[in-house]
Amino acid sequence: MIISRQKELNDILQLLAEKNIFIIGCGKCAKKQRVGGEPEVKDMKKRLEAAGKNITGWTVLSSACSISSWMEVLSMNPEIKKSDALLIMSCGGGVSVISGFAGLQVYPALDTVSLGGVVCNEVVTEQCGMCGDCTIWLYGGICPVIQCAKGLLNGPCGGAREGKCEIDERLCAWDKIFERLKELKKLENLEKINEPKDHAKKIRVKT
Amino acid sequence: MITAEISPPKGTDTSPMLRDCALLEGIVDAVNVTDNQRAVMRMSPLAACSVLEEKGLETIMHITCRDRNRLALQSDLIGAYSQGIKNVLVMTGDHPSKGDHEGAKPVYDLDSVQLLGMIRKLDQGFDLCGNELNGKTDFCAGAVTNTILNEVGLIKFRKKIKMGAIFFQTQAVFDIRDFAEFMEKTSEMRSKKVKIIAGIIPLRSESSAHFLNSVPGIRVPDDMIKKMKDTKDPKEGMKIAADIIRELRTMCDGVHIMPISNHENTKVLLEMAGLI
Repeated sequence: MIISRQKELNDILQLLAEKNIFIIGCGKCAKKQRVGGEPEVKDMKKRLEAAGKNITGWTVLSSACSISSWMEVLSMNPEIKKSDALLIMSCGGGVSVISGFAGLQVYPALDTVSLGGVVCNEVVTEQCGMCGDCTIWLYGGICPVIQCAKGLLNGPCGGAREGKCEIDERLCAWDKIFERLKELKKLENLEKINEPKDHAKKIRVKT
Repeated sequence: MITAEISPPKGTDTSPMLRDCALLEGIVDAVNVTDNQRAVMRMSPLAACSVLEEKGLETIMHITCRDRNRLALQSDLIGAYSQGIKNVLVMTGDHPSKGDHEGAKPVYDLDSVQLLGMIRKLDQGFDLCGNELNGKTDFCAGAVTNTILNEVGLIKFRKKIKMGAIFFQTQAVFDIRDFAEFMEKTSEMRSKKVKIIAGIIPLRSESSAHFLNSVPGIRVPDDMIKKMKDTKDPKEGMKIAADIIRELRTMCDGVHIMPISNHENTKVLLEMAGLI
């Protein structure tokens, strides 16, 4: 699941130069995280109207990043044609896909922050660093590329204080990796010298 | 071995750095030049070391993984070597969010273990990708370590040795028992070739002791904090540091002096410790 968070209303209002706005939410990740499903879209409509914007209409697509026909979206939502701009409440993937079709100004209402998941109804962030070269098994299934603030592959930096990461309150990813590998009886993985990532695998990935 | 920390200037004026170095003349073996320490932007250690080498000082250039990718690290390393800089101290580097350019992109293309491995390749005459160099390096490469290490920290320590670190500079030592434990825990991984240089920070006040206690890897014992609280002697922190140095003398290979401000008291400290 793509993890996103809503921009501050003031920041959104700064973006929206246009008057007539159509809002599009997303029925997948953004809905699950309660940042771009129907209730949030309606709330956004209310707040933007209170700020003087004319909301021409709104919809929640089943998945903003996976659109089979823009014509269909237009036929279901004819108000889009009367709009000056679209405000998209989805991750950057959705904003980008819609921008490619819409032929009018598109704005993001969310900031996309990481690739995560949902565990027992709880959203978990930063599960995958999208490096294009997955070696997560070496680390007991805990991705150091994203869970370690410095993306270190060969052990902790020494900046943790009482088990907490140098940059915030989160636990040191390397302590978690150690504990997980201990549970799995795979501590020998930690002795391996991990080579630098091949970033050529990340950029311009062939699909 | 006695080394002392020198900060490159925040700006182009090298005179305060040179004044600080002048205080160390004849009393230290090398000066240890920091690399945007605490993620605060300063002159590059390559340039600063170059200035100091020209003045005849032996330098140890810090090189962090925070600000440069593998191309830039290699460029700087071969550039440094060509300027006469033969000693490097490798470290991960504090995160940009801790410094004065909070929004900077954290690079960390390599980690410290990989950077040590890359230096070894340059020493063998090849770049990271195996291309031959026209003129190789011959660095004396070291790494940093906390003296309070958990199991995973110890594994990383061992990896640094495996990848070519021949000396370690430790985080500031205040508790000799912590240091003794560190030496004991690491004794099997260290051959005689791997030297340990203990970090020393002379305390200035009770509040500096409290502050240091919040720094990762530093533990100032309560009785030391109390001593700083109760004393009226402005040299109490120096006395404590001199006592630590005396005790460390038989335990490791050298000390590294990192004063909170400049080196005005470093000579006196080393005299008090009986090192000069």
